[in-house]
Amino acid sequence: MTLASVSSASRVAAISRLTGLRVPPTVALSFAVIALVIAWSLAPGLFTSHNPVVGVPADKLLGPGTTHWFGTDHLGRDLYTRVVYGTASSVTSALIAVVIATVAGGLIGLLAGFLGGWVDIVLARLVDVLLAIPNFLLAVIVVTAIGFDTTNAAIATGVSAVAVFARVMRSEVIKTRQAIFVEAAFLMGGSRRHILLRHVLPNASRSVLPLAVLQFGLSILVIASLAFLGYGDPPPASDWGLLISIGKDYLKWPWLVYAPAFVTIATVLSVNRISRWLRTTD
Amino acid sequence: MTVRFSSFSHSRRRLLVTLSAVTAAALTAMAGLSPARSAGAQKNVGDITFLIDSLGGTWIPNNSSISSFQGHIWGHVTDKLVYVDAEGKVSPWIAESWEQSSDATHFTLHLKKGVTFSDGSALDASAVVANLDIWYAGRKSEGINPVGLFPKTYDRAEAVDATTVKVVFKAPTLGFIPTLGYHGSILISPKSIAQPAAQQADLAKTSGSGPYLVESWKEGDFVKLVKRKDYNWGPAAVGHTGPAYLNSITYKLVSEPSLRVAAVQSGQADVAYSPSPQELKSLKDAGFTIATPRYLGFVNGLAINTRLEPYNDAKVRQALQAGINRKEIIDTVYTPDWKLATSFIQSNVPGATDHSDLLAYNPGKAEKLLDEAGWTKGAGGIRTRDGKQLTLTLYSNPYLATAKSIDELIAQQLGKIGWKVTIRAYDVVTFGEKVRFGGPAVPAYEVTRSFIDAGTVASILTDANNGENWFNLGDSDKQLNELRDKIAGAASTEIRDPLLDQLQTYVLEQGYFIPRTQIVQRIYVQSPKLKGEVYNGIAYASYYTATIGE
Amino acid sequence: MRGAYLSYAAKRLTQAIVVILLTYVFTFVVVSILPGDPITNVLRDPQNGFTEDEIKAIVAAQGLDQPIPVQLWTSLSHFVTGDLGLSMRSNRPVTTLIAEVLPSTLILASAAFVIALLLAVTIGYGTQFLPKRFGQGLLRGLPSLFLSVPNFVIGLALIHIFGFQLGLFRVIAPNSFWATLFAAVALGIPVSARIAEVLIANLDNESEQEYAAVARGRGLGQMRLFAKHLLKPSSLPVVTVIALAIGELLGGSLITETVFGRTGIGSLVQRSVSTQDLPVLQAVVSLAAVVFVLVNLIADLVYPLLDPRVKLIGGPKYRPTTADDSSTATSQAVTS
Repeated sequence: MTLASVSSASRVAAISRLTGLRVPPTVALSFAVIALVIAWSLAPGLFTSHNPVVGVPADKLLGPGTTHWFGTDHLGRDLYTRVVYGTASSVTSALIAVVIATVAGGLIGLLAGFLGGWVDIVLARLVDVLLAIPNFLLAVIVVTAIGFDTTNAAIATGVSAVAVFARVMRSEVIKTRQAIFVEAAFLMGGSRRHILLRHVLPNASRSVLPLAVLQFGLSILVIASLAFLGYGDPPPASDWGLLISIGKDYLKWPWLVYAPAFVTIATVLSVNRISRWLRTTD
Repeated sequence: MTVRFSSFSHSRRRLLVTLSAVTAAALTAMAGLSPARSAGAQKNVGDITFLIDSLGGTWIPNNSSISSFQGHIWGHVTDKLVYVDAEGKVSPWIAESWEQSSDATHFTLHLKKGVTFSDGSALDASAVVANLDIWYAGRKSEGINPVGLFPKTYDRAEAVDATTVKVVFKAPTLGFIPTLGYHGSILISPKSIAQPAAQQADLAKTSGSGPYLVESWKEGDFVKLVKRKDYNWGPAAVGHTGPAYLNSITYKLVSEPSLRVAAVQSGQADVAYSPSPQELKSLKDAGFTIATPRYLGFVNGLAINTRLEPYNDAKVRQALQAGINRKEIIDTVYTPDWKLATSFIQSNVPGATDHSDLLAYNPGKAEKLLDEAGWTKGAGGIRTRDGKQLTLTLYSNPYLATAKSIDELIAQQLGKIGWKVTIRAYDVVTFGEKVRFGGPAVPAYEVTRSFIDAGTVASILTDANNGENWFNLGDSDKQLNELRDKIAGAASTEIRDPLLDQLQTYVLEQGYFIPRTQIVQRIYVQSPKLKGEVYNGIAYASYYTATIGE
Repeated sequence: MRGAYLSYAAKRLTQAIVVILLTYVFTFVVVSILPGDPITNVLRDPQNGFTEDEIKAIVAAQGLDQPIPVQLWTSLSHFVTGDLGLSMRSNRPVTTLIAEVLPSTLILASAAFVIALLLAVTIGYGTQFLPKRFGQGLLRGLPSLFLSVPNFVIGLALIHIFGFQLGLFRVIAPNSFWATLFAAVALGIPVSARIAEVLIANLDNESEQEYAAVARGRGLGQMRLFAKHLLKPSSLPVVTVIALAIGELLGGSLITETVFGRTGIGSLVQRSVSTQDLPVLQAVVSLAAVVFVLVNLIADLVYPLLDPRVKLIGGPKYRPTTADDSSTATSQAVTS
């Protein structure tokens, strides 16, 4: 599962729903929010004329207004600009987490479900270990081991979600394998590889896709939480979680917390809505 | 050995410098400085809550006494042999007087009588010997560390009688007496010292002789201190020697700075430690007491690795010195309570001299120096030479909360004159592993370091005698070596001060050390009702003399 | 049947023990990857003024320079006998440290769990009986909203509004009733969303089933119908969710305790992580794993007794919610 396939799949789905005029307004709004977020991450310069790193020290801690939509921070930087420029890193890190979780988890689940036998037993124990440690605790421990920065936080988040994907993938693979058409393919003498690629994978990925989309939203939150605890990138990075984390030191100027929090919530909410829609319409 | 020592000592007696007279004079002078207090306040009792961002790790006294957090508790639970005030002045405390040989290898301490630890044992000469021994050596296999800055030249100490201790050093150790007022040198009951490490780690099982004792504590939560009613041996320098006024002090851990401050604002607590500097102005306007005592030590600044390209070029270092706008740092990150650096040591250290002229912001001069050094502005405004960019990596000091903000500001300032500055921020663990003075990828080390005696400064800078070799010069700089040796050999401050002045000029001119601001590592926001606290030379607040009003 | 059940139980028990031991080894290996330890870390504090050679001597004196497999073996053999060792950071017994903070976390987690359950049942009930067009859509959106708000933001907002603006609780007395309640709300909200999602999915499923329709035909009161028919069969997968919610509560306590300044398992982990206090981390992770594995073990041993449809195959993944229904699998997956 790659970035391209996730977004293209959802785009295809979006177009097909739109043409069918069956898109609820909330879903349309969610797609609009996600489109804006993607635009922010691809071309932040189009959306703001301020500099995200260099501020005007004399203008520090100004309230939200027409010149500074979200106000300014403790070094006089425009907070809206910092949010816009932080989008790329927030989105990319969540994607890294999803890709790791889907690829590693998917592979484990696929091998366990398809091969069965001792492979299944060994992998099942590994998954049990990963499941036995609370998700967030696991992420914290992994990020401690590999070092504190946003990419590592993303990797840790991905690792902590591997078990979930492995479990879902495995049960889907078993289900598909037992399905009549796969048995028929076996009887007709299809090679294992052929059956895997033609029948098992496409079927299993249908329930993995909404899960991956959901995991994307979840990863944004987990990475933000790790950043909040201080396991994120050094300044002047402006990932959303880092911005909230910096803002909490300045509770007297609450927009420093609430503005990036609002953007985070809107994004995750949209992603969740889309995931739910994908699940119910398929 | 003992016999030989005493005869040796007697023959020297005439040559000994008697400090008692000097300290007595100092005392009279200081009595006038002691905090003014209304007559009614003497009867005042009360309880205060001090909000702190951490309560550190272990409570083994040797391992925790210098902690920026636990030092607060130790300062109330224990006493020291001498007192060092905010100006670096040394005065008697548990040691009433002392003498030292002219070569500074033999010291005699005369102790106050009738001092006891809270477990009932006497603070006598043998207790002091037990403390000196464990400060020097620790018990490494048990996990009890030596006290870091205790002189490594220590040989032995012995109790001559109940109130007299002789201390012998293997080499001249001028800094010994001031070191006794350092936060590492806290006096602990010999019974506690004899306990194994796991027992010592339980704060409630350790006894000191201080004005407060530990009533209860919980790891990572709070420490509650109550006053010791029979305490009667406070340092005369703070103007009070009897029992403390406040009934209890509770140190409570609240990790969010904004919560600590808000709690004091709403009257839920009396003191907030380490507030965010941004909040200070409005707090001051609202009538809260802001204390920003400076410790005796180095200013916050960068020690430059002179072996690393391009910082092996004096012109580049000098451009760095001129390219930082120190006033903007204070205006943006701090408040006017912070002082501009005037040297690479804090201006309250005895022997520090004013070198503001060397630290003026002059971007034009910086650009000229860089042009001369062959670094020319290229695309994107970044200077290059032979295809290489002019870069600087700053490793934000994890021990200073504002380090990242300052680094960001410096990156902006240097960016204007063509520097490409990157910032790396590590947690304390990774920082300790990866960032060293003169490390191969560390062009600049961000210094935060206190010391008690300016005489130790010169020896840290090079690698001679286990020095820390801050600028990675080894012993290649003849002039620095010469100054170092002269300072170490100086027998009096009259001889030493001009040498220290030369040292400061030289280090700053060469751009070896790039000061940022004078450091205030301990910041306090305090309820206006609480008055009379005293800050010592390491900037810890003592509430021994404090009272609380309505 | 009885013999089959016993051998199934024995197999599950062995698996549980293996998983706990593997978790211990896993944590040890992961945390040991990075060089450094709390002792060296303290020694390296610039205020200490130790040289590199002095630090090396002190570390060697405590056996921290031994190869990792040797350290793992020593540590594992102590763990098996129940000796969790001394914290490297505070030099105090790990069991004492955990015993000190456990009650506070248990209180917080139980309160959060009760709040989460109440919220989830309210939402679940609401979706079944509120008018379709109006409140129902809103309620169905709630779990999604709850899951989209970082729980430190909920915590900060609660402190900001109720602690400071309204002065309902003293921020520095985090164990008071109100402070605990609000911390529990912050911790409970995301958990309630996860429970509610599964509950709604199952309620929807059940209400479509025929016997519910029949019962409705008999004219049972709505409340009684809900209580008697819907909640009971739906509660089976909810038990699984509860098992998983425990992990969620433990993980969430890390953030919530930090935000509210409570002392507990979460803040202990937070402190131990920042100083790489391996023995404490080991103990906490093992404790979490033991709780998780035990709850699941009990669930696995009880299910076959409750519901004869469950086949005795051997792994938790064969439980009805996970394998039988892909949509519940998805929502449950989020829970863990």
